Amino acid sequence: MNEAPAPSAPTNGARLSRRGVERLDLLLLTIEALDLNGGEAMVWTSQQMGLQAQFPNRVELWKRRCHNPLRRTTRRDQLNPMDAESLIYLVCAMADRLYPMLHQLLSSREPEQLTQQRWQLFHERLRDLIEERMNQRREAVVRLLTMEPAGPLHRQLISTLAFCAGPGGIDRLRATLLDPTP
Amino acid sequence: MLKTTYQYEQTAARLVVEGFPDLSAGHSSEAIGILSSWRLQLVGAPELEGTRDHLEALMTAVMPYARHRLSGVQRRFGQESGFVSIAPDQTNHRLELRSSREGVEPLQLKLDDAELADLVRCLDRLRLDSRVKLTWTFPAERPLKRQEIVDRVPLQKRLGPPLLAGVALACTIATAWLVPLPQETKETSQEPAPVDKPETQSDR
Repeated sequence: MNEAPAPSAPTNGARLSRRGVERLDLLLLTIEALDLNGGEAMVWTSQQMGLQAQFPNRVELWKRRCHNPLRRTTRRDQLNPMDAESLIYLVCAMADRLYPMLHQLLSSREPEQLTQQRWQLFHERLRDLIEERMNQRREAVVRLLTMEPAGPLHRQLISTLAFCAGPGGIDRLRATLLDPTP
Repeated sequence: MLKTTYQYEQTAARLVVEGFPDLSAGHSSEAIGILSSWRLQLVGAPELEGTRDHLEALMTAVMPYARHRLSGVQRRFGQESGFVSIAPDQTNHRLELRSSREGVEPLQLKLDDAELADLVRCLDRLRLDSRVKLTWTFPAERPLKRQEIVDRVPLQKRLGPPLLAGVALACTIATAWLVPLPQETKETSQEPAPVDKPETQSDR
């Protein structure tokens, strides 16, 4: 089927707020919780998408993600709009790749016990990653650590990835990350 | 002229569109410029079909709903009297479809997040397909207004902290008003003791 071509590397971008950067990095962390080899997969996917200028290796990708103020090691300067746009493209491409897994977690047609086990596994991996990478003295991080498996916050993260998967989700994800802070 | 059919599949949803190229607009034989019909199959639901107007109504309701859902805003999309509307239903979504034929009861479909995501992805593929030369009239993806974001927080939760602060302030003021101020006590001392003045030259 010859549909829309895969999105090429972004040419411009929007400056994300502090809250937007936090959400974007949390989505990348969610992807890592779903995919054990997520870090490598992100670099590989970014190269497939022609983003090697932005993220030539894992260290450069990590440096961009360190603009999240909730991280243990954080950078004070603002995230470059081009880098933010590249990260948005990367999240959508990774969500597309992990879509079957996202679907399994969100579907009510899957066996209930199996779904609970999947949520529990995801919960444990995400909690470990948050403990490892985030500053646990921040109230927002404490709130993330006290999330319940399959609770509203978990469901919001997974459904966000499901709704922004693929090329069609790029505009939606960008728009939601640019939402004003209430 | 041969009818062209394209199919978009995503796990639990399958959207099939049929149409013809608009030769007057210079479309190639592969393109669809005039949509003749469409069919949507969702697992566990009857097959839906309709004309371009119905498909446009579906897209106009579902796409902004998904966009708002991403921002945590849950509200109904699609007019009450229109062909399609979608609204939150506890943790699921209720898609309501009304036929243009008279006497046909509206069809209600309950979708979970996974099914809605499948539907959104099918619609995304259709609107981004370069072979389908149709223009869709749903609003572009934009950041929401601050009021819309604020409205997602329940009124009780929003007004609770300032109300509590106001009550605490009023209580403090009332308490301060009721507590009597300490009386100034005047010292009732005897005549002041004579002070030894130093002698000056004029005294002599």
